[in-house]
Amino acid sequence: MYDLSEEDLQKIPAILQGLGYEVIAPLKFNQAVKLAPINADSKIELDYIRLMNSPRDFLLPNRETLFKYRSTATITSYGLKIRFPTVEGPCPAGISPEYSSQKKKLAFFGIHPCIANSIRYLDRVMLSDPPDPYYSDRRKDMFLAVLECDEGDEYCLCKTLGSYKVAKGYADILMRKSGNRYIAKPMTPLGETVLKQVGKEISGDYPKIVPRMKKEYEITNADESSIDSKDASETVKSCTLCCACTVTCPTCYCNDIEDRFSLVDPSNVERARTRMSCQRRCYSMIAGGTTFLKSKEDRFKWRLKHKFPFSINSFRLVGCVGCGSCIANCPARIDFRDHIARSVD
Amino acid sequence: MSLTNPYLPRQVTVNAVKNESLETKTLRLKLQNWSMSFVPGQFVQLLLPGVGEAPFCIASSPSDQRHIEITIMRRGMLTNAAHYLRPGDALGVRGPLGRPFPIDQFEGKDLLIIATGIGIAALKSLIEHVVGNRSKYGEVTLLYGARFPEDLVYREDMKHWSSSIKIIVTLSKATPEWQGLRGRVTDHLHEINLKDDMNIAICGSPTVMASIVQSLSLLGINKERIFVSLERHMKCGIGKCARCLIAGGKMVCKDGPVFKASEISLEAIGE
Ligand SMILES: Cc1cc2nc3c(=O)[nH]c(=O)nc-3n(C[C@H](O)[C@H](O)[C@H](O)COP(=O)(O)OP(=O)(O)OC[C@H]3O[C@@H](n4cnc5c(N)ncnc54)[C@H](O)[C@@H]3O)c2cc1C
Ligand code: SF4
Ligand code: SF4
Ligand code: FES
Repeated sequence: MYDLSEEDLQKIPAILQGLGYEVIAPLKFNQAVKLAPINADSKIELDYIRLMNSPRDFLLPNRETLFKYRSTATITSYGLKIRFPTVEGPCPAGISPEYSSQKKKLAFFGIHPCIANSIRYLDRVMLSDPPDPYYSDRRKDMFLAVLECDEGDEYCLCKTLGSYKVAKGYADILMRKSGNRYIAKPMTPLGETVLKQVGKEISGDYPKIVPRMKKEYEITNADESSIDSKDASETVKSCTLCCACTVTCPTCYCNDIEDRFSLVDPSNVERARTRMSCQRRCYSMIAGGTTFLKSKEDRFKWRLKHKFPFSINSFRLVGCVGCGSCIANCPARIDFRDHIARSVD
Repeated sequence: MSLTNPYLPRQVTVNAVKNESLETKTLRLKLQNWSMSFVPGQFVQLLLPGVGEAPFCIASSPSDQRHIEITIMRRGMLTNAAHYLRPGDALGVRGPLGRPFPIDQFEGKDLLIIATGIGIAALKSLIEHVVGNRSKYGEVTLLYGARFPEDLVYREDMKHWSSSIKIIVTLSKATPEWQGLRGRVTDHLHEINLKDDMNIAICGSPTVMASIVQSLSLLGINKERIFVSLERHMKCGIGKCARCLIAGGKMVCKDGPVFKASEISLEAIGE
């Protein structure tokens, strides 16, 4: 275990940069705290509860180019008549996977345990057979310095879900505030190397603390039939379909893949992966207009089913890490806990 | 990473285009310097340069690994563009993807194939396989339902198939000239010699499939022997985009598109 002052702690990112990492840490932008790549002047925010974004936005960046290719297709009338020249083969002959491996390894500094656990969920999804090559490449050699919490706010659900404890393999350094100073525990040899340079080794056991919650809950109805059968029409009435719940959720990974090109030079095509939300109607629409998730209520329940029963079935892992983002960021203050949990006082 | 990148398509060229009906064409695609071994029921992601990708079932016999056929119904942007393709055009293909029909398990037993509308495209490969290996199967019946006579596809293939399997065609919006059966496929289930150990493969629109499965269960058919091929919005085809999730949390691209009716709820089959 190591003892550090806040100043010592703030030196860790520079050390990581020296080791070739691109360091992503919580920075303050007006009132919001957001993960962003740091530079020499960045002041890392350590006293925050909730982020506006999450590691997902770096591991699965929105609008990521999967590959580019040249197409000799000519567009006569966009969307209607697309003709393919017969002389030279367009596309795949010229497909060049212009995705070069990321130059720098990623380090996330100062994320909370629930957020570190969200990476574990993304790993389950993205690394299951066949692994997603773009994601695997980005998460390879990732470094995680996790800042544990003493206290949550009224939206946190990590105590109930157990996600205040970082899963094995999802922290190189565990740290927490202790009075005016910080204590830290290396979880990997690399974490140890880093801590040695800034902290003073002290004896004693790194404490196991369960964060205090403002409200406590017990999950009671998170199986598929309970979620389906319970009426949520009142709950979702005020939903504006803004998708803030899925945009800020650290484990939401649904995406779209599309071809993009400029009308000026349509021969350069890019296949890009963009974020999708299950709260949108087009999420489940198939040709002919058949839509499986028709109402707001269907989609609200779908989000919960994907987080709970579906993820448990497919990945043996709950897809919700209890960060509370979807509740805190919902303009309609829709609280999914009302649907699947019971408050215990 | 390029070799193992499951997002990269491989090149195919259009070899022939056949008009099946007003809205439907079959493309015969030649795989450029590669071959594909697939099992009936599997699908490919077809890339139209500059337009995008969409999933289509392979509608040809698995015995030819250098060519595949797909039947495309005009329904939106990509399928419309596909109707402008001409021989020689180059396209991209990813696949084969998905879980196929358990053709080995079908051997030695009677097989009932029920198709409605363009759903027959998902079953054509199975039909071709059965016709090509006729002695391995018991009595085989194709029950095919469409709306108007003009919607019927694979007319020439049917002539060829009819010498080895029984074909029943029914139209729900038959014109006065129509000589054959009328009504929905579910109206004609009783004409089939349903047996306890027969297997049933179904593809059609969600609501129709749900009602067929329901009718068959009412007739006492075990859901373990009913196989449905589902359609969902698909992007990645490899379990990474969550667009094809169905009730129960299964992914149509990886766990399907072919499912046993006993594995999934009726809600997942229907709308
Ligand atoms: C496993 C599988 C096998 C299929 N096999 C065949 C086949 O053999 N023959 C055939 O004609 N059709 C088949 N389809 C349906 C075909 O994929 C859709 O008709 C096609 O994606 C529509 O694309 P579009 O660009 O023309 O439509 P769009 O203009 O994109 O949209 C029209 C509608 O199609 C929906 N849609 C768009 N992209 C997809 C997608 N990737 N998957 C599903 N729906 C989508 C849209 O939400 C919209 O409602 C299959 C679908 C699946 C999932
Ligand atoms: S954040 Fe709230 S209002 Fe917006 S889509 Fe989600 S539930 Fe609806
Ligand atoms: S569902 Fe809500 S509480 Fe759970 S991980 Fe997503 S944003 Fe956080
Ligand atoms: S198509 Fe992407 S998960 Fe099935």
